[in-house]
Amino acid sequence: MTDYSVIDQPAATKASILARVPGVAFMLVLLFVAFATTTPGFTTLANLSNVVVQSTILLIIALPMTLIIMTEGLDLSIGAVLTLTSIIFASVLLPTGSYALAFAASSVVGIMFGAVNGWLIAVPRIPPFVATLGTLGIAQGLCLIVTDGQSIVGLPPQLQWLYGGTILGIPVPLVMAALAYLAFHGILYHTRFGTYVPALGGNREALRQAGVNDSLVLVAVYTLGGFMAGIAAMLLTARMNSAHPTAAIGMEFDAIAAVAVGGTQFERGNGWLFGTLLGVVTIGILRNGLNLLAIPSSVQVSCVGLLVILALFVDGLRSTEE
Amino acid sequence: MKLSHSMLAFAALVAAASAARADGETIAVFTKNQTNPFFQNVRVGTENAAKQLGAKVIQYVPTKPDSIPEQLSQIEDVIVKKPDAVVFIPVDYKAMVPGVEKMNAAGIPVVNTTDRMAGGKIVTFVGIDDYQVGVTTAKSLLNAIKGKGNVVLIEGVKGSISNQDRVRGFNDALKEFPNVKLLASQPGNFQRLNALQVMENLMQSFPEIDGVLAANDAMAIGVIEALDAANRKSVVVGINGTKEAVDAIKAGKLLASGQADPFMQGCLGALAALRYLRNQPVPSEMHLKPSVIDQSNYQQFDLPVEARSCPKWGEAAIN
Amino acid sequence: MTTVETTAASPRFVMSGDLTQLFYRLAAIGLICVALSFLSDAFLTTNNLLNVLRQASLVFFMASGLTLVILTGKIDLSVGATVGLSACLAATVIKSTGSPWLGAVVGIGAGSLVGLANGVLVTRLRIPSFIATYGSLWIVQGITYYYMAGQTIYGFPPGFRALGSGYALGIPIPVYLMAGFLLIGGFFAKRTTYGQQIYAIGANSVAARLSGIPVNSRLVLVFIMSGAMAGLASLVFLARLNSAEGDIGESLTLPTIAAVLIGGTSLFGGIGTVSGTFFGALILTLILNGMNLLAVNANWQPPVTGAIIIFSVWLDLATSARSQASA
Repeated sequence: MTDYSVIDQPAATKASILARVPGVAFMLVLLFVAFATTTPGFTTLANLSNVVVQSTILLIIALPMTLIIMTEGLDLSIGAVLTLTSIIFASVLLPTGSYALAFAASSVVGIMFGAVNGWLIAVPRIPPFVATLGTLGIAQGLCLIVTDGQSIVGLPPQLQWLYGGTILGIPVPLVMAALAYLAFHGILYHTRFGTYVPALGGNREALRQAGVNDSLVLVAVYTLGGFMAGIAAMLLTARMNSAHPTAAIGMEFDAIAAVAVGGTQFERGNGWLFGTLLGVVTIGILRNGLNLLAIPSSVQVSCVGLLVILALFVDGLRSTEE
Repeated sequence: MKLSHSMLAFAALVAAASAARADGETIAVFTKNQTNPFFQNVRVGTENAAKQLGAKVIQYVPTKPDSIPEQLSQIEDVIVKKPDAVVFIPVDYKAMVPGVEKMNAAGIPVVNTTDRMAGGKIVTFVGIDDYQVGVTTAKSLLNAIKGKGNVVLIEGVKGSISNQDRVRGFNDALKEFPNVKLLASQPGNFQRLNALQVMENLMQSFPEIDGVLAANDAMAIGVIEALDAANRKSVVVGINGTKEAVDAIKAGKLLASGQADPFMQGCLGALAALRYLRNQPVPSEMHLKPSVIDQSNYQQFDLPVEARSCPKWGEAAIN
Repeated sequence: MTTVETTAASPRFVMSGDLTQLFYRLAAIGLICVALSFLSDAFLTTNNLLNVLRQASLVFFMASGLTLVILTGKIDLSVGATVGLSACLAATVIKSTGSPWLGAVVGIGAGSLVGLANGVLVTRLRIPSFIATYGSLWIVQGITYYYMAGQTIYGFPPGFRALGSGYALGIPIPVYLMAGFLLIGGFFAKRTTYGQQIYAIGANSVAARLSGIPVNSRLVLVFIMSGAMAGLASLVFLARLNSAEGDIGESLTLPTIAAVLIGGTSLFGGIGTVSGTFFGALILTLILNGMNLLAVNANWQPPVTGAIIIFSVWLDLATSARSQASA
């Protein structure tokens, strides 16, 4: 099994990815052990299953975010797009009762935003930070305008099965997240397209010279982000059994933090999908453990920042100097 | 014989002592955010009440202010810890229904305060009649401007039920004063800075504003700052009865503030939860008596919240 | 319009490109003012225009420090949280000692310390500035929340409050401060060696290091300045709001970044000016002011802001003769 993601990287960085493996895993194990020994109730099946399920929505948007960051980009709009697609999903589900129609509508909106992001970044070459900051504002505004600040309620109670139900004993969100992860793993490591992604970040010229339409690939990567936002939106709506215009605001930063904690770098296209998974779970465990310990909320806020900085500090220690 | 007698007596003594001593219940309290003093007062109220009755309180506040997913996660985490009861202020009264239902399914009794939940089973609701308080507060302003002139309305967060009720109260009160013109109704999001900027902009558009109806005290104070900076005068009212509002009333800058008494809401919420746990009767609705704080009666509210003490059950002014 | 070949940016070329940017922004401001004066009677009044200037000044203080950071190719996401911490600490000092000067020292000092921490994270610990300042944002916010414990500090001496809401010769005091910092900032960026080094670092940090510029010290310096300006901004906020709460700076980070971007400073570093940021802040405030005067629903403000950001950056890219550094 060829690991395409390192195909363009010099041997030194290949070694550094391996050297980085314990980085986020180290923090994860450390936190897990710390909480397991100090926090009653942490290691119960109910609690651990909670943490995993709570992390699924974040994971589903962190996966495309990994690819986007590997292209040396960013998607600041994904939280707002997630919120907007959740609102669209609920707005269509309410009158029609058709999940298929609702999913179609919300996916279309997600894809559109992703495509616009990708286009702005690929064609007029607007920096990703700027382009997605702009579309963040647009999506956020649309959320508020469409709903006038109110929640959308009255959704069919069966919707909650999407978040609370199980398939063969496994929670539905977990199944969806696992499928998403497998899909992205396949795309990134087993397709030609997957080799283009880190090349966009590390060596775009080479890609162009190889005859690949790098703009199209870029648009595709961001469109993938928008589409996954549409998928995560279903879980979010099911979780709240409603849609709310500020529900996922700020989640893009959580996703970016999870990707960064997981070892994917902002430059040169080094990326690690499994690291993102570990990053998401680490953040989830941190919050869960702190809640169970009834640590004051203000201290929790600081702990999140500390985790992010520590994880990258450890990374910096382990990776080879440029 | 003597030994068994004394052992019996000893056992009885121990039993009596433990019954009289703390029951040691744990109550989980959920509030919306860390920075609005309203919720801080609620938290202090719950802790005060719990201490009086020998129970413990654990606070749950989202790290991202008013975050729905976070409060849902905190509920799921709390269910694992199985507190004896929950005092619950939803960050959104509709979106949190699944959360309350989860607590119901786990058999944890829920006391709902401040923002009335749109669903889910609760032991009781503790709060104010936001609509009535809105009406009464607005009327005090409308009477003060002698029923004539221009007013503006500064709303809070659109999706909040207490905001909706207060604004409805304002508007209904306005209907009874046909000679008063409502120039504009703009949202200030319950925030001081927002309200200040909104007021500044309104002052540009409207050279004459006689009265300002603000849906909470933070916004009312923001409005006052804007007026002061521009050297203009208007009659301003707010709602919540915070210490800062009381000081402003003392200084003559704020006409009145509708009483929401968050400290008391916290007290009663915790008291109701504990009574329920101790199998004592609890009414299904607990509204604080609607009242307005103004120049005539502010003295009793002129206390920092830490100096206050929760009343005993039955002493509180509720209806 | 100048045609420029890009290799290393040298100050002369940067100047002409900058003038182009400033010209477009000035034109935009003119257009907006003309349009608004037709659309709303209240716009062209002295009161309103002074108001706009005062509101713009608040954004400008934070944005000017941030401009220096972005000029080096880094970013500082923690400015809003820094404003919060500085404001709360300064407020405590002012209330307990009665001295606004002492409060100012503490506020600016606290901001500078946060900036120093950010600088260390980025230069010594080599953490990307996006993540480092995102982490420090949370840490600082947590400290502020813990310290304030949900309370409000309010009621400052009137002399201090004049800083935010007072007038001198009919012009709001923050406007004087803004003019002052515009001059100082512009001078610093363009006419001192420090400033030129900052541009050089942004244009090409490797070349800058090779040419002997102490890159790490300059980076730490710009982060300190960003933090100090946030501290200064917090004082003006305190004076204006007459109170401090834990979340005082939270809503400010995005408008600040928007002002810098609209002002033409490039996220890649090396391009942009403090004057540009001033215009950016002005454009943003004018648009928001116009929307308020026309009673446009406040929900339209984020999308309009987003669209303006995209448009102004697009405009710069389209009109600039400089080619993008190949990514």
